[in-house]
Amino acid sequence: MISCTEFIAAYSELFKFLEKKGGKKAVADFWNFLSDKYLSTSLKRLVKKNGIRGCWDYWQHALNEEAADFTMELDEQAGIFKIIMHYCPSKGRLLKWRHIKPYADYCRHCDVLYRRILEPLGYRYEPDLSQTNKARCSVIITRKNKMQSKKIGGKKHERKTGHCRRQAVIETK
Amino acid sequence: MAKKIMVRKASDNEYLHKDFHCALNLGLEYARRRFGDDAVRNYLCQYARSFHAPLIRDLRRRGLIALKEYFKNIYAIEGAAVRINCSKDELFIKTDFCPAVKHIRRRGFDVSPLFIETERAVHKAICEDTPFAFELVRYDKKTGRSIQRFYRRKKS
Repeated sequence: MISCTEFIAAYSELFKFLEKKGGKKAVADFWNFLSDKYLSTSLKRLVKKNGIRGCWDYWQHALNEEAADFTMELDEQAGIFKIIMHYCPSKGRLLKWRHIKPYADYCRHCDVLYRRILEPLGYRYEPDLSQTNKARCSVIITRKNKMQSKKIGGKKHERKTGHCRRQAVIETK
Repeated sequence: MAKKIMVRKASDNEYLHKDFHCALNLGLEYARRRFGDDAVRNYLCQYARSFHAPLIRDLRRRGLIALKEYFKNIYAIEGAAVRINCSKDELFIKTDFCPAVKHIRRRGFDVSPLFIETERAVHKAICEDTPFAFELVRYDKKTGRSIQRFYRRKKS
């Protein structure tokens, strides 16, 4: 058995192995495969059922089990959900284990896995991966149709959305 | 319409995300379908040699007691009862179920036919270039119940 506490190393090594065997395409295909199989019964089901609140439900469970250092915010009315990852337990472990070298594009798996689920459901997925070398990142998920309808209907909520985004960037840094 | 904020420190929770077992299972299955059984075994050996390098060094230095301590800790973290018998030349690990297999099944996934290699291939690779060898004496694919044996190689 590979303990779930050591999974991250196995995951990173798998990406390296797949790239060596089949190039970056093999890695990307795996991420798509994983997204379809792994997240369709959890994140996808929750968002389909509860809208953007499904994101809160999903990550509330996952990030607590992963013992992440994070701030999570949900504004259902505005259709905005965001995660500010102050210290990612997965990337943090990979950086801490000095005897193994993390897969170079390790952090992109989150982008591929979650975007693939959320965008077809009508959400925009916008990660900031600029500080992953410090095990930090953030993501803002917004309901597309909500934003579009607000843009058409008036500028009030458009400003509100913009304010939240700026705030997230400030908090991330 | 809810507006909620959650703030957590790493120290607020125990690091134990069992769904990672499902992700690993799917990883093995993807690699098996795309590159074949041997590729999966090669990957697991590569992982073992790389990630377990400190444990392998410890095994060379201190012998089977290093593995005993490692497995005792891992099974305790995963919440599985394990019976371990260790001597200078032999280490037996007996489990009634594999916590990973149990969780994967509970979540409704099929267990990869190569999931057994997370014990067989990984533990064999850990023993490479050490005075020890590994034998998977018994393994039940349904539950992951197993008897594992590490033993000192006979000098030729």
